[in-house]
Order: sequence, then structure tokens, then C-alpha cells
Amino acid sequence: MHVSTSRFGTIEVEDDRVIQFESPLLGFSQYRRFALLQPSDESAFYWLQSVDSPELAFVVTDPTLFVTGYEIPIRKDQLDSLGLESLEDAQVLVIVNKYGESLTGNLQGPLVLNTISGTAEQLVIPDQRWSTRHKLVDIPEGKRAASA
Amino acid sequence: MLVLSRQRDETIMIGDDIEITVVDIRGDKIRLGIEAPANVAVHRKEVYEAIRRENEQASRMAVSDYDEFRITPTSTVRKKGGLKRGSGQTRARIRSPQPKASRKRADPDERKNRTA
Repeated sequence: MHVSTSRFGTIEVEDDRVIQFESPLLGFSQYRRFALLQPSDESAFYWLQSVDSPELAFVVTDPTLFVTGYEIPIRKDQLDSLGLESLEDAQVLVIVNKYGESLTGNLQGPLVLNTISGTAEQLVIPDQRWSTRHKLVDIPEGKRAASA
Repeated sequence: MLVLSRQRDETIMIGDDIEITVVDIRGDKIRLGIEAPANVAVHRKEVYEAIRRENEQASRMAVSDYDEFRITPTSTVRKKGGLKRGSGQTRARIRSPQPKASRKRADPDERKNRTA
């Protein structure tokens, strides 16, 4: 399918590659279908692009690349609603934000993706130990802004 | 706001599919049991608000915020790998913009798209 995006122009997404949020991203309940865009091999970050709204996209990353000891408690009913038979098939992603010259990840509201069926959900972790703005990395001087 | 009084073990219906039951009352703390369909999110409001605000802020991220966010036409179809090795992964291919008709010199960065 052709997906129009404000950041990347028109992109091609195979229908069976669309990620479906059964339980929506908080604050974005109208937009449940997304595609993951993978930048270069060296990048730790992906774009989660809405297939229905060209302007709507999030940077996401695998938190295990930056954080140790991060564990997400998932209830059985949450596994069921994601259609997950095993955690082996799950991928956790966190939404990335930028504050000052650092990138942070929302570890309190991780995204759990069933990599086989493409269903996803934003979980809320009740444990106050993980913050919505967990620092992932400082942006080095040379990388702060891409040239036009 | 609709205000209803309930005692322990009594229930409120919201629409046809949502039920809230007072499970326990102890001093200042009330335990509520919620039955709702899987596609309706149920959260403590203060946590919901914190996450919603963070999502909204994050949705404003620009490609220019970090050079690793940039997706180039050459990094389109991925080789095997990606999120999880060997399992279904989500991929998108970016259609390159049409090259301009008159180019004074070849762009050294142009490469043919590799297919997986």
C-alpha cells in the first residue's frame, strides 16, 4: 500500500507489515495502524509511522540497547489480547523524545509488539521505578542537526 | 460529572461493555474492579496523563533532531535481520524521489536500491 508521510514522502508498505494497535497509543486513539521504518543498519532508532495520518510518526527504539535490567511485567490477559503465545515472539519498543541535547525513552509506557501477527499495545507499567523520560543517550555535538 | 454512590460489591455499567465494581473499601482507599473490552484502555488517570503528554511531545520529533533519524533512499529494503532475527518483521520501502531531469554531475552518494 502507498503511505503518504510528511517526513519521508510516499512510502511503500506491504499490507501484512502493518502494525495494528488493538489498544491505542495513549492520546492517539484514532490512529491504530502504523508501519516501522528502518533507517540505516547503524541506527538504533526506527520511525513508527502512522499509515493513516502523514504527519503522525514517532521515533522508537529497543530499550535493551540502552538500559539494563529493564523488565516489563505483562499480565496473562495482556498476552492474550496481543495474541502472544510466547514472549519469544514479542518485541519491546519505547517511544523516544528529545530534551535538550539528550534522547530519552518512555520506559513507563513501552510498546509491546507481536512480531508475528503485527498487533501491538502501549502498556503502562505501574512500577514507579521506570520513568517516562529515561535518558538513553546524549546527542554528540556533531550529530545534533542533519544538514538540509 | 455523574456522581453515583456505591457500596462494597456494587457495580456501575458504562455503555454495554464496561463494568466497574467496588471490590473493597478500607479507610481512604477504594479498590475498584474493571471489566472492559481489550480495545479499551484502562489506566489510573495521573499515569495516563503523563504517558499521553509524553506521546504527544514525541510525535513532534523531526528528522532533523538527530542525524540517525534520517532515512535515506539507500536504506530501504532491509536484508534479513531487523527487530528480531528470523521472525516476522515489519518493513517499509521508501520510494525514492524522481531524479531531476538535468543533473550537472552525478551525485557520488547515489546507489541503486539493494533488494533483500
